[in-house]
Amino acid sequence: MNEAQTLDYVKAAAAAVNLRLDEARAARVAVHLHRTAAMAALLDDFPLAVHDEPAELYRPAPFDTPR
Amino acid sequence: MHHPIPSISATAQAIACGERRAADVLEICIARIAATDARVNAFTSTCFEAAREQAQQIDAKRARNEPLGPLAGVPFAVKNLFDVAGEPTLAGSKVNQSHAPAVADAVLVQRLKAAGAVLVGSLNMDEYAYGFTTENTHYGPTRNPHRLDCVAGGSSGGSGAAVAAGQVPLTLGSDTNGSIRVPSSLCGVWGLKPTFGRLTRRGSFPFVHSIDHLGPFGSDLPGLALAYDVLQGPDPLDPGCHATRVEPTTPVLDLGVQGLRIGVLGGYFVDHATPAARQAVTMAADALRAHVPVQTDVAWPDPAQARAAAFIVTASEGGSLHLPALRSQAADYEPLSVDRLISGALQPATWYTRAQRFRRVYRDKVNALFRDWDVLIAPATPVPATAIGTEWIDINGTRFPCRPSMGLLTQPISFAGCPVVAAPLWPTGTDGLPVGVQLIAAPWREDLALRAGQALALSGVAHLKETTL
Repeated sequence: MNEAQTLDYVKAAAAAVNLRLDEARAARVAVHLHRTAAMAALLDDFPLAVHDEPAELYRPAPFDTPR
Repeated sequence: MHHPIPSISATAQAIACGERRAADVLEICIARIAATDARVNAFTSTCFEAAREQAQQIDAKRARNEPLGPLAGVPFAVKNLFDVAGEPTLAGSKVNQSHAPAVADAVLVQRLKAAGAVLVGSLNMDEYAYGFTTENTHYGPTRNPHRLDCVAGGSSGGSGAAVAAGQVPLTLGSDTNGSIRVPSSLCGVWGLKPTFGRLTRRGSFPFVHSIDHLGPFGSDLPGLALAYDVLQGPDPLDPGCHATRVEPTTPVLDLGVQGLRIGVLGGYFVDHATPAARQAVTMAADALRAHVPVQTDVAWPDPAQARAAAFIVTASEGGSLHLPALRSQAADYEPLSVDRLISGALQPATWYTRAQRFRRVYRDKVNALFRDWDVLIAPATPVPATAIGTEWIDINGTRFPCRPSMGLLTQPISFAGCPVVAAPLWPTGTDGLPVGVQLIAAPWREDLALRAGQALALSGVAHLKETTL
C-alpha cells in the first residue's frame, strides 16, 4: 500500500465506521497508518502455522445448573 | 536547601515504632508539594483534608497500641486513571471531565489505604496513557525534577516525578508498553511492572485491555516490594486478573542474587541503546558480577516483531475503545495522540489478529528462554530525558521519532507479560540525568527481579538522588 493508497484506505475505512475526517486530519492519520503498515509487514513475514491460535481466546463463563 | 527523599520503608518503620507521627510526616509531604509542584506539575488534584483525617486516625490507633498496617502513615498518590471516590477519573483527558465522579476508590487504592497508606492526590499523565513523555496539552507537561526543561517520561510521568521530587515516597501508575518503566528511567526512581494479570485493574480507566498492567513506583527497593505485597490478591471480578494467591516478596529480598543465573540482553537491546543507556547496563552488570557470573549478549526472541505486534494491538484496541467519543469529540482529544488513535481504529482486522497469533508463539519462546535464566538485564530507555518538545532523537546514527521511541526497549518485554523492576542508575555524560535498567524475570517471578534490585540497591549503584528543587 503506497501513501496515496493509504490515504484512500483511511477515507474509506473512516466512512465505514461512521467517522468524519476532514482532509487535513485524514492526511495525518494516513501518515500514522502508513508507518504501522511497515510493522504489519514485519509480522506478515513471521512464520505462523494454521494451528497457531491467538493469545487471547474466548472462554465461556461457568454455567452451573443441575444435571 | 537540603531535602532528603523520604523512603517508604523508613517512614513506615518510624511511624510504627512511634518515632514519628503520621500527621507530621503528612505535613512535610504537603509542604514539599506546595513548594515544588508549580514547577514540576506532577499533581492534577490533591485531597489534603481527607489525608489529614486519615493520618490523625493512624496516630490515634498508635496511641491506643492498636495494630497498624504495614504502610501506616506512608503518603502516596496515584496516576489520575485510578478511580478516587468522589472525583471523575480523568485519565489525562479533557473528555472525561464531564464523567460522573467515581463511586469508590480503585481496588489497588483501597488496598493501600487498608494497609495504612495515606492518599494525598492524583497525578498527571499522557492522555489515556497513549504516550511516553507526559507532554499533556490539557494539563501541561510534567517536568523532570532533575532538569525542569526535560520530560519526566510517560505515560505515568506524574507518578515518576512526584517520587523523584520527594513529594511522596510511593505512587501508583500503569504500564501498557513501558509507562512505569520509562518515567522510572527518566526520573531516576524505582518502579515495578508486575506480571501481566498479577494485580487487579478494577477501578482504573483502561487503555489496551490485553496489555494493561498496574504497578507501584517507590523511593526505595524494600518499600517498593512492601507496597507490591500489599497490592497483591486475586480478584474474580476483574477478568484480566489471573493471580490466584498472594506471593509475598519482602521475606525473600535479602536472599541476594547468589545462585541466580543472570544475563545481559544483546542485539536489539544494544542496537537501540545510546552510550549512556549501555553504560547504565554495564554498571548494573558489574555490580551483580561481584556476587555471580553475569553473561553478556543473551538473545531475546524476536524483539522487533514483538514491538511491532505490541504497537498494532495497542493502536487497534485503544482506537476501538475511543471510536465512539472520537466521532463527536475528536477536537477535545490530545493533539499529540488523536491522529494515532484514529489510525488504530481504522487498522485492518488482519493486522490485529496476526499480532495476537504471534503473541502466543512469542510467549512460548520467551518462557523457553527463561529455562536458562533467572534475571535478564536491558536498558529501560534508549536515552536519558529529552527536552520538552523534542520531536526526533538520534540512536547510534539513526533518527527516530522521539515520543514513540522511548518505548523501544520496554515494549517487547511487556508484550510477553514478564515482571520487570526498573532500577535507577546514574551513568556519566548525561548532565546529571539518570537512565534506568530493566531487571526482567520469567512471568510470575517478581521475587527474582526484586532480589536483583535489592542487590543493586545494597551495592550502592542504584539509588535516588536529591534534586535541587
